[in-house]
Amino acid sequence: MSTIIDEYLNNVKSNLRMEAPAENEVLTELYTHIEDEFQELKNNGLMDDEAASTCIRFLGSAKTVARLIYEAHSQGSWRQALMASLPHLLFGLIFLLNWWQGIGPVLITLIAILSITVYGWWHKKSTWLFPWLGYSLLPVVIAGLSMLYLPRGFAWLAIVVYLPMALWLIFRVVSQTIKKDWVYISLMLLPMPVIISWFIVTEWRYGVNMDSIMSVSYQSWIGASFMALACGVISFVRIRRRWLKVTVLFMTGIITLALIYFYTWGQLSFVNLLLLILLLVSIFLVPAMLENGVRSGKWGKIFEHRPMSR
Amino acid sequence: MSDKRDLLKSNIDSLLLCLITGQPMYGYQIIKELENRSHGYFKFKEGTLYPALHRLEKNGLIEGKWQILDNGQQRKYYHITEMGYAKLAEKRSHWNEYFNAMNLIIQAD
Repeated sequence: MSTIIDEYLNNVKSNLRMEAPAENEVLTELYTHIEDEFQELKNNGLMDDEAASTCIRFLGSAKTVARLIYEAHSQGSWRQALMASLPHLLFGLIFLLNWWQGIGPVLITLIAILSITVYGWWHKKSTWLFPWLGYSLLPVVIAGLSMLYLPRGFAWLAIVVYLPMALWLIFRVVSQTIKKDWVYISLMLLPMPVIISWFIVTEWRYGVNMDSIMSVSYQSWIGASFMALACGVISFVRIRRRWLKVTVLFMTGIITLALIYFYTWGQLSFVNLLLLILLLVSIFLVPAMLENGVRSGKWGKIFEHRPMSR
Repeated sequence: MSDKRDLLKSNIDSLLLCLITGQPMYGYQIIKELENRSHGYFKFKEGTLYPALHRLEKNGLIEGKWQILDNGQQRKYYHITEMGYAKLAEKRSHWNEYFNAMNLIIQAD
């Protein structure tokens, strides 16, 4: 038909933020609608350009249409909300019920998380998968933190081997996730500032050795911080509006960091606190910038940017 | 004008379910049918139709099926489901109660 209609549909597409098959269905449906309306207007005597702009005017703002369609699809069921919050709930319970000192419950939980993540990834269960993905990256983060304590010489060797593998794995996960919506990367990475915070607190108080870690007495605070993450994720899944989803996620991060800071009562150094807040902000800013780069075509080839198809 | 828009907004689900009960319809057809049957009273902001249809579909009240026409065009036809019939019956009942109650007050003078 005309470039004005292509432009309109491209605007709708860039604001939809849905899975590719669903997105293509929406665009096809809108295109068909425009085709029918365009033909009727032309039959009534309008010129091509006038008919095209009238079609667009009747439909309304592309951004609004995309937002409303997004909101019609964005709310997950209570079951999906519970599934998404489950890894946080499991870790929360491990600490609240004091099971973390036994290797059995921790190992079972990690195996369950990895198994369910693989299942969810394989079956493309994207509604609840992302928090599970975040925890399956946990061994990568722990391995990285552990390398800080390796003897000299080994640390450099381990980092040279570890860093490329870790970055490749994270890149693979992110490149799949960015196709849907950057906010799911933030959802996935949300526990990281919390886990790193507790690691710093434990190292400051007890040092990093098994005997001292076993004598940790603040497990209920750790459990509470994971429960706060679980509540945030349930709200995220149930909320329709995107800006509200982002806000809830960010506030969940702030609340859990505040919980940790309150527990340590200013004894967590200012530099550490600042770095943790920067880390929290970066898990929102960096994915948003990445997605912006993909959509503007700067990193299109790397992240397999999809051209519009009908 | 805004009262009319609010009325349409709050009854949009009932209107769509009613229309689709008669026969499966696609989006553009729904808009035209709504305008014709209401003698021009209900004029949809067309961009709001598809979010409403998708919401009804997500809630299981209608079901969309794609058909490929002879000219190669693809159209998504919406059918009402069993759950949709039940919901429509419920909404009709509420509407009749509301309508009767309003008449008692408004037409009392």
